[in-house]
Amino acid sequence: MRLTRRTFVGTSASLMALGLGPVSAQERRGGQLVIVTGENPRHLNPAVQSGVATAIPGTQIFASPLRVDENWDLHPYLAESWALAEDGLSLTLNLVSNAKFHDGMPVTSEDVAFSIMTIKANHPFQTMFGPVESVETPDATTAIIRLSQPHPALLLALTGALCPILPKHVYDDGQEMPTHPANNAPIGSGPFKLAEYRPGEQITLQRFDEFFIEGRPYLDEIIIRIVRDASSVTLSLESGEADAGMITDSTAISRLSATDGLMVTPRGFEGIGPIQWLAFNTRVAPLDDMRVRQAIAYAMDRDFILNALMRGVASSQKGPIIESSPFFNPDMPSYNLDLDRANALLDEAGHPRGADGTRFTLTMETIPGRDSATGNIPEYLRSQLREVGIEVELRASPDFPTWAGRLASGDFMMSMDIVFNWGDPVIGVHRTYLSTNIRPVIWSNTQGYANPEVDDLLERAGRETNFEERKALYGQFQDIVGEELPVYWINALPYHNVFDDRIGNPPLTIWGMMQAMDQVYWTEDR
Amino acid sequence: MTKAVSPLGEAWGQFLRNKPAVAGLALLIVIVGFVLYGHFLFNADPYRIVWGPLTAPGEREGIPLGTDFLGRDIFVLLLKGGGPTMAVGLSAALLTVVIGIAMGALAGYFGGWVDDLLMRLTEFFQVLPALLFAMVLVTLFAPSLVTISFAIGIVSWPGTARLTRAEFLRIRELEYVTAARSIGAGNSRIIWKVILPNALPPLIVSAALTVGVAILFEAGLSFLGLGDPNTISWGQMIGQNRNFLLEAWWPVAIPGLAIFFTVFAVSLVGDGLNDAFNPKLRSR
Amino acid sequence: MAMMRYILQRLLYGLILMLGVVVLNFFLIHAAPGDAAEVIAGEMGGTTEEMMAQIRAHYGLDQSIMVQLWIYLKQIAMGDLGTSYHFNRPVTELILQRLGPTVMLALSAQLIAMLLGVVLGVLSSRRPQGILSGFVSVFSTVGYAAPVFWTGLMLVILFAVWIPLFPVEGYVSARFRGTGLAYALNVAWHLVLPATTLGILFLAQYARLSRTAMIEVLGADYIRTARAKGLGEGKVTFNHALRNAVLPILTIAGLQFGNLISGALLVETVFNWPGMGRLAFDSVLRRDYPTLLGVLFFASAFVVLANLLTDLSYRFADPRIRTGGR
Repeated sequence: MRLTRRTFVGTSASLMALGLGPVSAQERRGGQLVIVTGENPRHLNPAVQSGVATAIPGTQIFASPLRVDENWDLHPYLAESWALAEDGLSLTLNLVSNAKFHDGMPVTSEDVAFSIMTIKANHPFQTMFGPVESVETPDATTAIIRLSQPHPALLLALTGALCPILPKHVYDDGQEMPTHPANNAPIGSGPFKLAEYRPGEQITLQRFDEFFIEGRPYLDEIIIRIVRDASSVTLSLESGEADAGMITDSTAISRLSATDGLMVTPRGFEGIGPIQWLAFNTRVAPLDDMRVRQAIAYAMDRDFILNALMRGVASSQKGPIIESSPFFNPDMPSYNLDLDRANALLDEAGHPRGADGTRFTLTMETIPGRDSATGNIPEYLRSQLREVGIEVELRASPDFPTWAGRLASGDFMMSMDIVFNWGDPVIGVHRTYLSTNIRPVIWSNTQGYANPEVDDLLERAGRETNFEERKALYGQFQDIVGEELPVYWINALPYHNVFDDRIGNPPLTIWGMMQAMDQVYWTEDR
Repeated sequence: MTKAVSPLGEAWGQFLRNKPAVAGLALLIVIVGFVLYGHFLFNADPYRIVWGPLTAPGEREGIPLGTDFLGRDIFVLLLKGGGPTMAVGLSAALLTVVIGIAMGALAGYFGGWVDDLLMRLTEFFQVLPALLFAMVLVTLFAPSLVTISFAIGIVSWPGTARLTRAEFLRIRELEYVTAARSIGAGNSRIIWKVILPNALPPLIVSAALTVGVAILFEAGLSFLGLGDPNTISWGQMIGQNRNFLLEAWWPVAIPGLAIFFTVFAVSLVGDGLNDAFNPKLRSR
Repeated sequence: MAMMRYILQRLLYGLILMLGVVVLNFFLIHAAPGDAAEVIAGEMGGTTEEMMAQIRAHYGLDQSIMVQLWIYLKQIAMGDLGTSYHFNRPVTELILQRLGPTVMLALSAQLIAMLLGVVLGVLSSRRPQGILSGFVSVFSTVGYAAPVFWTGLMLVILFAVWIPLFPVEGYVSARFRGTGLAYALNVAWHLVLPATTLGILFLAQYARLSRTAMIEVLGADYIRTARAKGLGEGKVTFNHALRNAVLPILTIAGLQFGNLISGALLVETVFNWPGMGRLAFDSVLRRDYPTLLGVLFFASAFVVLANLLTDLSYRFADPRIRTGGR
């Protein structure tokens, strides 16, 4: 029953996105949608701030040139059509002519050019628009993006939260982007405009009546509530206090799946590809020895982690590219629980057991205040690695910044980390493995991993426009890192979307709620 | 003719007549014994995963109190977690009492500008929001049992200081102090040998209650995730299992009960001591 | 006139205390390892070194610590607590937004504790050796001995799972759009559990205090006279005796303000109450110095003010205490 309903919704979503879907009587106007999230945005401008928390409200407020559906297919949004040059060195966007910002000013190619260059200069994902040299604006509705080399990730980088189109007349006033006051009171051209923003509490968005797509959005209001405690998130969805939400912990997932009137699905996170891994500092002994890293991988029971710790709600993740991506290589090396093998590898690496059965002690970083999705594994590892003679000592960082600082400066041995793929490997994967990206900054190559062959493969894959060729290059890359294990990938974070059953057309593209929700409606009065 | 009884002996007799206080003492002895010697009876690795996560109490034989979110035996964790909890409680209380008595004694005995200065300092620390300030201290110096005890001690001493000062102010005017001074006893002798012993009863009560407060304090910090990650404590157990509250109440409820009974016992004993030392109430 | 001067003196003294608080906390926080620019960079989702330099310049982090302190003090003097690293908004605005909920929580908890505590204390004082008295002393210790966050969590289980009577999270219902009385009722409905949790913590002290005070007062001569005049027991208790127990109760209420704030921090975390405590906790974990300093400043100001008010009400309630001496 649910399955058929979901399939139907999926198809109609893509048709509608193409502008082909008939506006049936089913799409009712009006109503509010209350979204609950544990993520706390710093501000609402995704051009200079990555992360889910900013992306959800940000994509309602700002429109992007393109949209993407659940099959990774692209659709028009602010750009009604687009054309990639034969040589792959330029992309022409033809913009709609009737789009307006919330302050009434028209959206022009100038705004598109300004936004792309702003993002290139300020966004943490430096590779996203790295090859963009300039954006030309021959007329008000045409923008031509010029590239220094072919850039296969470009089209995806024009969707969702990755490319919000900012009003040039608001932001181009000489103030620095990361601290621009308008980030807290943004004006975009998306389906909803900001009505009220109470930091750390609630964001209220109202229907933008002059949205450029006729008749949309259907909803009158979207309220985003920030609730930090996982049980409270669960309870508010269960009681109907909230209609939609994002959850990661197993208690919530199993409990809400069993609740009548709710749809709980892991879909909608294919785009971000949230991978949880065990990071090794490959520069320090004994972790500089590949065999030690492999031994740790063999000592860990992935099934236990997935089934007992994560209660079967998380999916396994065996490599650097999210398994739902077409670039994932299912044949890459993988490690299943094998204590004998782990012990043998450690003996071979020259770490015999001492009198008390211990070979050596490793420290593991932990961060307080992080939810159970990450917190459990350090505790588990402490219990589990004892089985192969490795003592694990937990070192608590008092706060997130200290943890980030320790990883960035290489002052660590092991740590759990969660890093997002962000759609294209160029954006979210390369950064972890390129030796040129060993920088004192969090979520770069903090493992200090360097392999010239990997550098070369990634560099080539980053400008290869032929899909099959590119896939082959990533395949080789995964074979190498799978053997050398600069990090040990464990699982895809069990992000789940929860929607009230009566929500029509729930946002389940690869970006989930991180894309405009102008097509979402209530099938009956709430 | 009545037999001469020392004041302490008399207080002890009084204490023994106080049923809640005796019950509290008995409870405290049981808990401390359990924590100190329990591992001789049940020697097990608390970090070992013994069964499926969140097994209910009594669901499986040999795991009387069930398992936590990782499948570790709550009974064993409780046993091992009690030590650090109490160690922090005791050492923080000790620090509180030492600083508090030193400050209060100096201020009360010398008076004048010493009193002014020390009392300003006391007020200053009283104005700081205790838990918040302790959080800041713990984050600055990385959470460990030592820093936590230190942080709790630093924020809790003003109460003891005020109490000590009041006692010293009262006692220093009494005849026997004047007498001691007249026979040429030095300041330090008068403070430590003459006044302090007479000021002890209320300070003992306050110290006992401080242990309870410190235990609660440690639990609060651990619950917020600012405890020492390498030692198990009861507060930490609550914090770690909190996200599973809707699924399983026992990993949260049981360590909470342990804290509760400990602090409850400590404060019953404290109350009993208070009644025993306080002649006003005794006469009723 | 003397009163005015006394108040001014106390206010000035309070200001000096708070200056001390600010300076101490400022140095403590800046003594911490790590760099606020890293914090902000991490929050943005990773960044470049150039951008970190830019951030340092923007927040004045490239200045020496004494210069930073001087700038900060000058700002405070003008009522500006700086800009939050995390939210990039004025700290004053963030705090004012949360001040209301925290004050409401703290005062309601005090009220619950005081009313309930006094009732229990008075009832048990009538027969100091009676069963009720024993029950009260045990019960009031129970409230004090349970960790406040744990009491809260137990209430969450009780009221979320078993008896869904009160909301266990938040300040007001998300889709609630009413105003006036309806709004106040909705907030009050959300306030029940957090305020009760926090109130239980302080119940013990009030119950004990009023019990002791009552026992003492009930033995006094004028009460005997009142009784002798044939006044009913209820009247004696509430008109004569209780009035004299008010003073110590007020003192405790004032002295407890600091503890109340600590308790509120934990309770707000459990019930997702949008107050200053949660803001403080989040700021510690995010190392959002300006916000943290701001909250510490406000919290200390609260305590100073509460102490002052206690002092004053004390003076009004008991004319015998007029001159300064402690």
